[in-house]
Amino acid sequence: MKTSNLDQAGTWLRRHGFTDASPTPLLAARLAVRRRTQLGAQATVAATILAVALTYKHSQREAAAHGFGLYGLPVLMLVMVGLVAVRYALDWWVRRTDRQWEQTLPRRVTYPVRLGWRSLLGLPRAAITATAFLGAVALAMYALSIPDGTARYAAVVLLIAVCGVAVGMVVQLRHVLTRPVVADDELSLDADLVMRVEDAKDAASPALLWIMPISSVIHSNIGWWNYAWSVFVALSLIAFAVVSFATVCRGTTARSAARQATGVTVSR
Amino acid sequence: MIVIEPGSPLPPYEQLRAQLARQIQTRTLAVGTRLPTIRRLAADLGLAANTVARAYRELEEAGLIETRGAAGSFVSAAGEQARERAQRAAAEYAAVVASVGIDTSEAIRIIRAALTNAVAPSPSP
Repeated sequence: MKTSNLDQAGTWLRRHGFTDASPTPLLAARLAVRRRTQLGAQATVAATILAVALTYKHSQREAAAHGFGLYGLPVLMLVMVGLVAVRYALDWWVRRTDRQWEQTLPRRVTYPVRLGWRSLLGLPRAAITATAFLGAVALAMYALSIPDGTARYAAVVLLIAVCGVAVGMVVQLRHVLTRPVVADDELSLDADLVMRVEDAKDAASPALLWIMPISSVIHSNIGWWNYAWSVFVALSLIAFAVVSFATVCRGTTARSAARQATGVTVSR
Repeated sequence: MIVIEPGSPLPPYEQLRAQLARQIQTRTLAVGTRLPTIRRLAADLGLAANTVARAYRELEEAGLIETRGAAGSFVSAAGEQARERAQRAAAEYAAVVASVGIDTSEAIRIIRAALTNAVAPSPSP
């Protein structure tokens, strides 16, 4: 086990209120693989935005030459399938590391209650995420109704991208909710729960959704639509900030929340 | 928290059953709490699904949990009702003891003897 991984695990423990705990190889390994997959996920997000923008641009050129874009939408769908596949592969990598460590544990511990999406994400955060997706779909549908071929094409591109991001999010959340607990004592059990909450929050973040139209509809210069999208993003951001601030103000550390996990909400 | 010790002399299903029963009886798990699914708990604890199913079955037979079809298994109210019934009976007994003028230590001796008789095996014919 690398010393740097143990050091980073120690920092993580202190940041989450585990001031009396020392980092273990199990925790260090689990956090290390999460850091790597997060990096991979961020690279995937960047690649997806680029791919959507390039596909849109190429389709426009194609449409200008032939009157329609032949390959743009199928390519975009493939890009979205690729995004979901990469997310799935990253989750599988995390699960594989967890499974390797499971086999080395001298004993197993878990919670006697079912931790569902409501416990991990919290109802307000889940509601904001769902609303953000519904809002994005609604705005894309409005753009579809505009009698302008370029705008409608951009709206279709946006709809495909939103659907791809939604499927990717569902795949990731399902993984967070269903993966087994990896713990052999109270500390590792609390840490497992905090990691799960963090993973769920990362998975449910609509950041990719907010920036998707930049590479499609916003480029097509529909004035009112751009304003509507800006207002929509601003409102979503404010709602997210309020939920995050309210959680911090509640004054519970992630660990104390984890200790009450038998029947309480642990979102943070 | 549920702990499964592979080195324990108790079989895993009994470790699981005993810990869940204790947490239900001490009200750590409140009435109506939804328990994990059999498959989920088996994966979390590294046990076979049959092992967890057996523990759940015995808890259900003891009236501590109930299964509501696809909704899953929940901590049952039956254990809570039994406790309330015992508390009501104890209050009635305390009232009788006070009305006939028996002192506290003798009243406790009487109830202890009654409890001993209740749990002792009946003599074979």
